[in-house]
Amino acid sequence: MSKLALTLTINGERHEILTEPHRTLLDVLRTDLGLTGTKENCLEAECGVCTVLLDGAAVNACILLAAQCQGRSVLTIEGLARDGELHPLQRAFIDHGAVQCGYCIPGMILSAQAYLDEHPSPTEDDVRAALAGNLCRCTGYQKIAEAVLAVARDRAAGR
Amino acid sequence: MSFEYHEPTSLAEAVALGARFGDDGRFLAGGTDLIIQMHRGKLRPRHVVSLHRVSGLDAIDANGAVRLGALVTHRALERFPAFQGRLRALVEGAEVVGGHQVRNVGTVGGNIVNASPAADVVPVLLTLDASVTCLGPGGERTLRLEDFLIGSGRTARRPDELLTSVRFAGLAPRSATAFLKAGRRRAMEISVVCVAGRLTLDASGERCLEARIALGAVAPRTLRAHEAERFLEQRALTAETLREAARLATAACQPISDVRASARYRRLLVETLVPRVLARCVERVREQAS
Repeated sequence: MSKLALTLTINGERHEILTEPHRTLLDVLRTDLGLTGTKENCLEAECGVCTVLLDGAAVNACILLAAQCQGRSVLTIEGLARDGELHPLQRAFIDHGAVQCGYCIPGMILSAQAYLDEHPSPTEDDVRAALAGNLCRCTGYQKIAEAVLAVARDRAAGR
Repeated sequence: MSFEYHEPTSLAEAVALGARFGDDGRFLAGGTDLIIQMHRGKLRPRHVVSLHRVSGLDAIDANGAVRLGALVTHRALERFPAFQGRLRALVEGAEVVGGHQVRNVGTVGGNIVNASPAADVVPVLLTLDASVTCLGPGGERTLRLEDFLIGSGRTARRPDELLTSVRFAGLAPRSATAFLKAGRRRAMEISVVCVAGRLTLDASGERCLEARIALGAVAPRTLRAHEAERFLEQRALTAETLREAARLATAACQPISDVRASARYRRLLVETLVPRVLARCVERVREQAS
């Protein structure tokens, strides 16, 4: 099989990647780039632990071919913190005790980020619907919803 | 899985590749079904022809008649301003597909070609009398969606044909649509049963001029409930006529019992959801009038 030469912008940085066409974005992120914050689990777009933002929209990296991302911009959990400062969603998840085993959290935070970018003042039901594609098997949804709502409130207040 | 990857930039080039590879090739739209089937080893194409560089396939045109390009995503359907009113069922069908992550990527064309009997947007399109256009080496042909769907995972698409668009006429005055889905949970669920409806009422707002009812996950393919539709047309829409339509729709189903529900439960759902969907259509027509 011939390899593809791809150019992907990942967390703001340009990467030239030579890879086989069957490899998923998830595989390339974790194996080729060592970005293991994006998790791997069901590989069928059911659980959402592999959620990353592709040009700002949440996608399941497990069923997206890296080739489909040619020339596009990917944000992973590693790209959220700035200058050693946690992103407000990361901070809020810690402050609200929203993290239990932690495995679903990178995906949760990226789904929440994509949602809040477009919906600045959600209700709790909105937040729960926005996170429907992200499963937490510790079942800590209440605190996760509270953390996301707190960030929305802070953003609305200009903090 | 292992395959050669192709990225045509025009429809002509895509169709030529499809014709060259035949059964060895697969068109890739969003991939939310295809890649999973390939991971499972159920499909092993030697050539994958991505449609992403073909321009225009993700366009929605809604000036009068509606044309949805095959690569229109569920997200785009959900957000399209012209679908928030009388065509609301399109939004209601699209917004219950998977999570945001799948709706951001999965396409209408893929949903149709995948031909799952539980597809959520397909029953809505059936109630809109939609037709699909396929392009192959021999040219273009247009089929009624109802004829295009043959069975579970089976369509009238030939291996060398590409589904390029779905079209339907704009709605007549005093028309509305609605869609309801029953699942075991509210999100991330394959439909146990889903029901779409469209009604056109007369000027009095009481009598039905045209009815469409489509049922998902109750037969090998998404069904139109023709007898129930014919029964409603020219009748006054009372609780009693809606119940009779529900009975006729239920009689049209051939549901199976599986891990999600028994056949008997699916019939009960159809009997309950059909009048609800129709009542919602009536309400929506009356809201427009007021």
